[in-house]
Amino acid sequence: MQILRPRSLDEALDALAAHPGATLLAGGTDLMVQVNYQGRRPEVVVALRRVPELLQMEDGFVGAGVTWSRLTSAPWPGLAQAARTVGSPQIRAMGTLGGNLGTASPAGDGLPFLAAVGAGVEVASRAGGRRTLAWDQFLVGPKRNSLQPGELILGVRLPTDLPQRQEFAKVGARNAMVISIASACLVRFADGAVRIALGSVGPTPLRAPRAEAMISADKHPSPAAAAEFGRLVAEEVRPIDDHRSTAAYRRHAAGVIARRLLERALA
Amino acid sequence: MSDKFEVVGTSERKVDGLALITGRPVFAGDLDLPHTLHLALLASPHAHARIRRIDAGGAARLPGVALVLTHENTPSLRFTTAGQGYPEPSPYDARMFDSKVRFVGDRVAVVAAESPRLAREALSLIAVDYEVLPAALSLDAALAPGAPVIHDEADAEGIWDAPHNLAAALDVAVGDTPAAFAECVAVVETTCETQYAQHAPLETHVCQSYLDDNGRLVLYTSTQVPFHLRRIVARILDLPIHRIRVVKPRIGGGFGVKQEVLLEDVCALVTMRTGRPARWEYTRSEEFVSARTRHPFRIRVKVGAREDGVLHAIEMDAIQNTGAYGTHSLTVLSNAGSKTLPLYNKAPHLRFTGRSVYTNLPVGGAYRGYGGTQASFPLETALDRLAERLGLDPVELRRRNHIGSGETSPIFAEMGEGREGVPMIIKSCAIPECLNAGMEAFGWAHKRARPRDTGPVRRGVGMSLHMQGSGIPLIDMGAATIKMNDDGSFHLLIGATDLGTGSDTILGQIAAEVLGVRLEQIVVYSSDTDFTPFDTGAYASSTTYVTGKAVERAAREVEEQIRRVAAVMLQTEAGAVQLGDGRVIAPDGRSVTLAEVCTRAYYGADQFQIGATASCVPEESPPPFMASFAEVAVDVETGQVRVLDYVAAVDCGTPINPRMAEGQVEGAVANGIGYALTEEYLFTPGGKVRNADLSRYKIPRTLDLPPIRVILVDSYEPTGPMGAKSIAEIGINGPAPSIANAIYHATGVRLARTPFTPERVWRALREAGIG
Repeated sequence: MQILRPRSLDEALDALAAHPGATLLAGGTDLMVQVNYQGRRPEVVVALRRVPELLQMEDGFVGAGVTWSRLTSAPWPGLAQAARTVGSPQIRAMGTLGGNLGTASPAGDGLPFLAAVGAGVEVASRAGGRRTLAWDQFLVGPKRNSLQPGELILGVRLPTDLPQRQEFAKVGARNAMVISIASACLVRFADGAVRIALGSVGPTPLRAPRAEAMISADKHPSPAAAAEFGRLVAEEVRPIDDHRSTAAYRRHAAGVIARRLLERALA
Repeated sequence: MSDKFEVVGTSERKVDGLALITGRPVFAGDLDLPHTLHLALLASPHAHARIRRIDAGGAARLPGVALVLTHENTPSLRFTTAGQGYPEPSPYDARMFDSKVRFVGDRVAVVAAESPRLAREALSLIAVDYEVLPAALSLDAALAPGAPVIHDEADAEGIWDAPHNLAAALDVAVGDTPAAFAECVAVVETTCETQYAQHAPLETHVCQSYLDDNGRLVLYTSTQVPFHLRRIVARILDLPIHRIRVVKPRIGGGFGVKQEVLLEDVCALVTMRTGRPARWEYTRSEEFVSARTRHPFRIRVKVGAREDGVLHAIEMDAIQNTGAYGTHSLTVLSNAGSKTLPLYNKAPHLRFTGRSVYTNLPVGGAYRGYGGTQASFPLETALDRLAERLGLDPVELRRRNHIGSGETSPIFAEMGEGREGVPMIIKSCAIPECLNAGMEAFGWAHKRARPRDTGPVRRGVGMSLHMQGSGIPLIDMGAATIKMNDDGSFHLLIGATDLGTGSDTILGQIAAEVLGVRLEQIVVYSSDTDFTPFDTGAYASSTTYVTGKAVERAAREVEEQIRRVAAVMLQTEAGAVQLGDGRVIAPDGRSVTLAEVCTRAYYGADQFQIGATASCVPEESPPPFMASFAEVAVDVETGQVRVLDYVAAVDCGTPINPRMAEGQVEGAVANGIGYALTEEYLFTPGGKVRNADLSRYKIPRTLDLPPIRVILVDSYEPTGPMGAKSIAEIGINGPAPSIANAIYHATGVRLARTPFTPERVWRALREAGIG
């Protein structure tokens, strides 16, 4: 196994240009599980923790290498709340937002926030230069993203006009070190517009456009309207059965947390 | 009562604590022997299959592979892996390797190779031709007419009814329950099911074997039962017992799963065949699948009371899933009754029926609580229903019915460990104090009286009452040897096995108390069959009560020898001197030190080794008792249950080391909260465990646990060492029923199946039209 340790973005892109099939290593909280328990044996690893450009967090940009520990005090409440629910202190100290995008698990705790705010994902390669993809162009299926060989995730670009009304919640079997059964992030703008995205209830994080449209049209939603919002969200998610939960429970839980996040945002 | 002691009743530091926290290489897996062969397991991929042909040639030819063991080249006698007293009350239904596999994870072959990697690689070169058989993957499937017969072999011994997949069965009747129920004003009947659960010790099973300079076999292993292990391995390998030495070093947790012989027979055979050290360590997944589990149960309980709220009749019908082999099947089954029914001895009419059923699923074994945990859930939730029916507070119902000092239960004589039990009069019972102290600390009256919450998150409180035992009467045995050194210190040699429980420390405290020295003057050496006297091992809450008594007796004999020597030195009567502060003191105040006494015994006149060996075979098993209180918050929309507060008030007699006793209860309650809320094996339709690791099988972490408040109430057991009873298991029995009762108090919904996962709670609430 060859391990390359670039010290700048330039070096990282060079390394990837030389080894387009290389495996990227950031915090290692997903990769090392695969190596230790699932027999994954990458030939070339590019380790990214020494690349300073990936550690930036400013002006609506969050570098791919920013850890969950740092994000717990990020200026975006929805992202900070999500960061606090990731794994354990050890995992938060190592794991990164870029790792969530790279692994592209529908259960990635940071992804509902990115989907709710409509984040762009910035990627770069020696051959293709920089490009920005909308979150739903980047996340294309369970554990699948549209990163090309030789490409690196630089970070995410967030809209600059986000409101402070951002809420995140997840349902799991215990309080920490748990992969969510369902998760959601909701953002409510001053004009009443609501965006909601849900995790673990579809092949990728997904938005609930009918629910969003219904509730965004309502400047002062009543409890009945909030309940209807939850019901629509439950209709729009696309969960599956697995060892953590049945689809029926996931659908129900998604509706409950969606309604509760709305109530929190209205409070 | 404990204020009369100097060392006992003090929270001394663990004698092995420093070595453990500084990371000394003290565990079985830390031994690093040259030229060791590493073992890897080929486990069955099928739940039920016959091995038509097995070709290990490819694996054996791989360079670096020393040996491949299969059913074709290993001893074929049947035995039980259960490390119990001889003769074991578990059926002899297992072979080292068999030509039939009975669950996904059963042993097919083991490779011994130069490295762990090579050993695993060689596994893929073993070709096995299986004739896959229909499998019985549930209790109902195994009991159905025409079900596949799991143990159809002719040479098994001790199976109750192999053609019907029954490993064991029990029927105990006292009085006439059907007639008695007709005389009751309130009768409640409930059926509960419990799940497969895993002990999850930090250290998985690990064994290293080698030949000593004289060609004797040494097994250096993570076991709770070194002497049973020596006996069982000797029988399997047809070796004289004296050719085997079993050493138990420090253990990283057992909880019952290491009361088994799972690795040692194979390690031993590899070492005997090759002359080389062998090492086998289960992976975490193997620990889940191929080690042992908690037997799942389906239990129907019927309880009836008369107008005065006094129980009149109790029926319990327990169906146990023992998995592919009958390890601990009969004894766990009988403990389901014997560790619950005596608690309510006011009921004159009792019936316990039980069946232990083979299935093609993982194997049940000993697990902290040992049947008492599984049966407490239906019994204590049934009593909660009965209290409501009678209009009584649940605590009040227990007050009217619990056993007390000077009382007995017919169950003590009727139900033992695989045979009839031993009659017993309870001599210490502080249940009233446990109920009072627990209620007060918990705020029971206030919390119970709160109006039911109506929002999405509803709080509720529940309680339950529990007993366990202190060893197995007339079966268990502990022995202790104490020998004196010429600096006034002592060696305490015990076969009892400290698994991290702290038993070395408390046994040292008992010796120090009798001999009038500080704990540091006692050098404790435990669990080495070459050097320590016999002990049945660490199980059945036996060590404090049984081995503790043996230590006390040995220390009293040594004390007597010291008195005699010192009396000569002080020119007085042996009966007149006192031991204390490391000295022997005459009535007039003159004294000699213990160092002077032993120096005289070694080098002066009338020389001899001051020392003694004493044994204890307990004549009874005084139960510890516990009142358990839980407060929960139930999110009725998501089904999530959070435990907000937990109080366990325990009567364990004299706590020899209060902090460690509290630690035992805290750990057991945490263990029980996991069992109640999150822990369960999930299976594929083919019977393979889906969550055989600690990321998918959820044990509770710190954030999932409430404050666990342990109260050790004042109590003194006259038959125990310094008034002590045992405490290791009882705590685990409380959470499932207390939490279930609290969920009912919060929501009005009864849960009859553990664990109470969000989804299961949500479904129960939805069925009741809530949330």
